[in-house]
Amino acid sequence: MTPELIVCGILLVAITLYAILGGADFGAGVWEFNTAMRSSKKERDLLYRAIGPVWEVNHVWLIFAIVLMFSAFPVVFAALSRALWIPLLLALLGIFARSVGFAFRAYAAGAVRQQAIFGAVFAFASTSTPFFFGACAGAIAGGLDVDVNGKFHGDYLTGWITPLSVFCSFYAVGLCSYISALFMSCEAMADNDAELTAVWRRRALTMGVILGAFSTVGLGIVAKYAPELWTGFLSKSLPLVAISTATGLISMLCVWKARYQFAAGAAALTVACVILGWGVAQYPWIVPPAIDVQSAKGPDSVLWAMIIVIAAGAVVLGPALGWLFYLFKGQHPNNSKAAATLNQNTTTNASQ
Amino acid sequence: MSDFFAARLQMALTLGTHIIFACFGIGLPLLLIFVEWRFLKTGDELWRTLGKRWSKTFGVLFAVGAVSGTVLSFELGLLWPEFMGTFGAVIGLPFVLEGFAFFLEAIFVGIYLYTWDRLPPRVHWFTAFPIALSGLAGGTFVVAANAWMNVPSGFKLNKDGRVVDADPMTALFNAGMPAQAAHMIVAALMVTGFMVAAYYAFETIKGRNSEYNRRALAMGLGMGIIAAMLQGPVGHEAGHMVAKYQPIKLAAMEGHFKTTDWAPLRIGGIPNMETRETTMAIEIPGGLSMIAFNDPTATVRGLDEFPDENLPPVAVVHFAFQAMVGIGTMLMGLGLWTLWRLWKKKPMEDNRWLLWAIVAAGPLSIVALEAGWIVTEVGRQPWIVHGVMRTSDAVTEAPGVVPLFIVTVAIYAGLVVGTVVTLQILSRIPMPEPSHDA
Repeated sequence: MTPELIVCGILLVAITLYAILGGADFGAGVWEFNTAMRSSKKERDLLYRAIGPVWEVNHVWLIFAIVLMFSAFPVVFAALSRALWIPLLLALLGIFARSVGFAFRAYAAGAVRQQAIFGAVFAFASTSTPFFFGACAGAIAGGLDVDVNGKFHGDYLTGWITPLSVFCSFYAVGLCSYISALFMSCEAMADNDAELTAVWRRRALTMGVILGAFSTVGLGIVAKYAPELWTGFLSKSLPLVAISTATGLISMLCVWKARYQFAAGAAALTVACVILGWGVAQYPWIVPPAIDVQSAKGPDSVLWAMIIVIAAGAVVLGPALGWLFYLFKGQHPNNSKAAATLNQNTTTNASQ
Repeated sequence: MSDFFAARLQMALTLGTHIIFACFGIGLPLLLIFVEWRFLKTGDELWRTLGKRWSKTFGVLFAVGAVSGTVLSFELGLLWPEFMGTFGAVIGLPFVLEGFAFFLEAIFVGIYLYTWDRLPPRVHWFTAFPIALSGLAGGTFVVAANAWMNVPSGFKLNKDGRVVDADPMTALFNAGMPAQAAHMIVAALMVTGFMVAAYYAFETIKGRNSEYNRRALAMGLGMGIIAAMLQGPVGHEAGHMVAKYQPIKLAAMEGHFKTTDWAPLRIGGIPNMETRETTMAIEIPGGLSMIAFNDPTATVRGLDEFPDENLPPVAVVHFAFQAMVGIGTMLMGLGLWTLWRLWKKKPMEDNRWLLWAIVAAGPLSIVALEAGWIVTEVGRQPWIVHGVMRTSDAVTEAPGVVPLFIVTVAIYAGLVVGTVVTLQILSRIPMPEPSHDA
């Protein structure tokens, strides 16, 4: 196996994990935005508590993907930075405002007015970030006016706006809110809160139906505006397309049957297959129609060094990540109380 | 304002802001480890209170540091696509390593912040170590990439200007890396220490002279002073490195125009590009030769040896260097003053002058930090990769960089205000019930 293929694989894994885990965190903010922040205090507490300890870690998958991309495929990074100048800046603004809004809100406990402002920033930015990342993905999938040296020959301000990019921006927001609704159903269930579980179940079902319709429309848009990608979907990626469709339907069925963890697992698999399917369908192109894996890859010495470092790093990172998620997402007796301690005004808490 | 200049200002603003938060990311975990260790050792709840309250401050600063760092990773490509497109692979390894360090840091920050009341105390203490280690490692790796821009190595270019052969280990451990990384990390400890000390010194002046306050002040001041003392020899090493690999930068730092032996060290002075001399400086004969090569007779190359188009803005670099060294010396003096009072066993809070000096030391340490960063970044101009790629060739062709910069100024002003407001809200949380003001 060539090093560039291994790195491509790692890159897809990082993007997938960011889409699922980071996407769920964004989705939580999307629901705050959707409901115009009129959610009940109980509902909101659960939401912020669920993402509190993990959102920062989930965000690192993005950094990891960026660093991998510019180290292994520097020309791709240059090309995307130029061609996606506007949507990347807007996505970056969203990431910035979301993180700052969340952190300030979490630590400004007790200051009602400040919390409301930071909460609103968080909700809006959580929606705009996946929107513009979706636009980037759609613009890449539809092909960019770049050359093999990473130079951009299109319009910096409007070149990224295509039917596919517009579709993908809404699709990404929908996907985030669906995954988030599934994870939140799990959280509410673990909290033994029947009322909130019902709320999130209803949201998941609504969003699932919308997404299903969206996906069908999306395939039509791909067929019309990205014919090469469409051919890839129908040939190389067909199994992945089939699996993603099946797991998507299964996840809806699981929500219906109130098996939320299975639903979340199935939905995660759907996202993974969509992203992997996209990658496989457009291979060997990284940025169609000009930049392919071979012409964009850095020197082999660098790629191998990266692979070794990543393999060694995974040995440390894996258990650490496992512990984090065990502590906050596992079936731990203290889970419902644990994160709440951060927001307390006094330190006289004794949960243990 | 040209788009190119706006891009440079944009980078300076966003990096100059991030670097402050990053310093706390390196320094505060070390203080937290020490404080929680005291608690484990003595069982004194006040240490634990201190740790818990500081960990919230750290939580805010870590989040802001993380997101302002994210901005930079995007900006590397958005503002300097030609640089990243050409050299991304060469400096990739330090960034991948930094990515891992950041990952580990974020994981353990999540655990550490949320498990004060949940994990056994010793285990909780243990979770702070990966945070401190990855903070130190992350800082080292990022600075390694910057040092590579100063002393590039470990790659070959073909005639199209594309990297064909790269040795990532040589690039990572470039000649500039050890001294520059050490200089930066010690600076981070200085900033953290003196900023913490400044806050509690001010509280003391306002009359809040509790045991909590005294311990917090001592922690911060201790770290700041130790770091300030270390910075002397460490900075000296960094000077050697610059003298050896970037003689133009050294000459600009000193406003040194003519190549001479017995080159003087200039204190103050205004570099004049017309007359090619630095006037109104106090000159110490042989001082610069001594600093650069440990030999007062050594020859130091002057700016006149280099073509004009390769010179950085001399005045900016010279003033920034003077500010950095001047403040560094004052902070060492503050350290000696404090130690002398300790030796005389005089309590710190009795001396208003000393307290006000400590209050000033906080912001001054940040000024020194920024001045040092200006020396290394502006001193490298007109190059983005010293001697290999010009900054003007690396910049993006995209429109609207000037408005982007203006918007960014507003956003970052909001960020700083928001951070201060949030930290104020945290500081107003009342102390736990049992009184420790014994």
